Amino acid sequence: MSRQCRVAEYFDGSAGERGPLIELDHVNVSMSGYPVLDDITFTLGERTFLGVVGPNGAGKTTLLRVMLGLIAPDNGTVRVMGMGPRELKHELHHIGYMPQTVLFDPTFPVSVFDVVMMGRSCCIGVLRFPGRADRAAVQDGIELVGLKGLEKRPIGELSGGQQKRAFLARALCRETRILFLDEPTSGLDLPAQEQFMDLLTRLKEEMGLSVIFVSHDVQTLARYSDDMICINHTMHLHGRPSDVVGSDRLKEAYRCEFDFLVGGGEHTGGR
Amino acid sequence: MLVHGFMQRALVGGLVVAVVCAVFSFFVNVRRLAFAGEGIAHAAFGGVAIGILAGINTLVAAAVFCVLVAVGIGWLSRKGKIHEDTVIGILFSASMALGVVLVSLAHAYNVDLMSYLFGSILALDWSDVVVLAVVGVLAVAFVALFFKELLFTVFDEETATASGIPVRFAYYGLLIAIALVIVVSIKLIGIILVSALLVVPGAAGMQFARNYRGVMVASLVCAVTAVVVGLVLSYSYDLASGASIVLVLVGLFLLALAFSPRRSYVRRVFHSEN
Repeated sequence: MSRQCRVAEYFDGSAGERGPLIELDHVNVSMSGYPVLDDITFTLGERTFLGVVGPNGAGKTTLLRVMLGLIAPDNGTVRVMGMGPRELKHELHHIGYMPQTVLFDPTFPVSVFDVVMMGRSCCIGVLRFPGRADRAAVQDGIELVGLKGLEKRPIGELSGGQQKRAFLARALCRETRILFLDEPTSGLDLPAQEQFMDLLTRLKEEMGLSVIFVSHDVQTLARYSDDMICINHTMHLHGRPSDVVGSDRLKEAYRCEFDFLVGGGEHTGGR
Repeated sequence: MLVHGFMQRALVGGLVVAVVCAVFSFFVNVRRLAFAGEGIAHAAFGGVAIGILAGINTLVAAAVFCVLVAVGIGWLSRKGKIHEDTVIGILFSASMALGVVLVSLAHAYNVDLMSYLFGSILALDWSDVVVLAVVGVLAVAFVALFFKELLFTVFDEETATASGIPVRFAYYGLLIAIALVIVVSIKLIGIILVSALLVVPGAAGMQFARNYRGVMVASLVCAVTAVVVGLVLSYSYDLASGASIVLVLVGLFLLALAFSPRRSYVRRVFHSEN
């Protein structure tokens, strides 16, 4: 029972004064000896759509993975819903995650329903089997993202946009409070991108979610974000989209990348 | 035919092998572990040779050795960041070479190496069948109990990790279970051919079904049919049991390919004739 409690306590305030939803304090990460993230500090409130922008190789994916507890920082602290990574490990069913690319074999013999059910795994628990409530949650997730009628279709037969929506349903069909999305619209054409973004903003309002959305597309993200941060190994900006777009520091962040590349470019953050 | 004790044992053992291999064949196909299966199976030769030289039970020696190789494949490819197939290529040839050296040191060419390499219908005694059944039940139980974790891990490891799924347990568990299944199947099928049972049934199943449940059922039907028909042929024509099972298996795969609803080769042939 204590599994649900930490997150419930955080949201009903019984865990004491509620801190920010996400809090990173002077976080440093290096991979294979190279610094990837340097002195990242920011806080994020509830029900916020945070756009994370930065050039390719800026460490955006690494930042997401640090917040998810998949990478331990060298220095600094990460708190999500008031918990450090070790406690968060038991509360991952409150987090939905869509990685940049799901490299699956298109002939993989699973249906849309099966894929979305994977998202329930951590709610079901090890050594337990899906019950009626799980199937209902999966069905709800599929309907939320507008894939009703396609439940039995093999995942590989869906279009790119439909696959992305299936993976969004997989991230939503648990007790999701925060969505971490890593370039979820990459590879989609413009109408499909807009459709995805509109769906996302609608679901965020309806379900009271917080969204952390990583992209290199500053303009699109500025239209949907409440808050934006721009990183290029280190924090360059944190503010309202209107302050971020057109800011000199944004250009600076992207120029840094250019300097980085022409100045030798020993590594490219990434994963 | 069934009055012979050896044939009873071969059939019972063979059915266990068929069911267990069919279940794992699904994962071998979707996670692309065909070469890993091949590599672990060949590594068993090194284990058998150690057993002969050290004078211990060859199956136990092979089991320990194969599990080590399986874990080595997983560990080197994940931690050492070397491609899985490269690691397998290295470990598999190293184990075979070790086996050859040890066998010649032990001057053990008189041991029935052929039956280890190609399997023998005569090789099983009842204690082998019992070991086979116990390992088979454990391996299938592992898959049944952790199916959703295994499926999530082989489909999308990154998201599975971020969902708190014990992906390392699932991955190593899968490799170790495959190693044990291979070892207990060797007496009947043989080192060289055992990996066919881990690859072909699932591959045939994938021709028929687009969902894992259907793939599993088709894979089971294919493996059981091949083992029964193969053993009968082996008995009737005095053929190596492993080889006849594998040939039947491949025949079934070709049939599956021809009649696959996905490809509809056969239907097209008939259409063009009309």
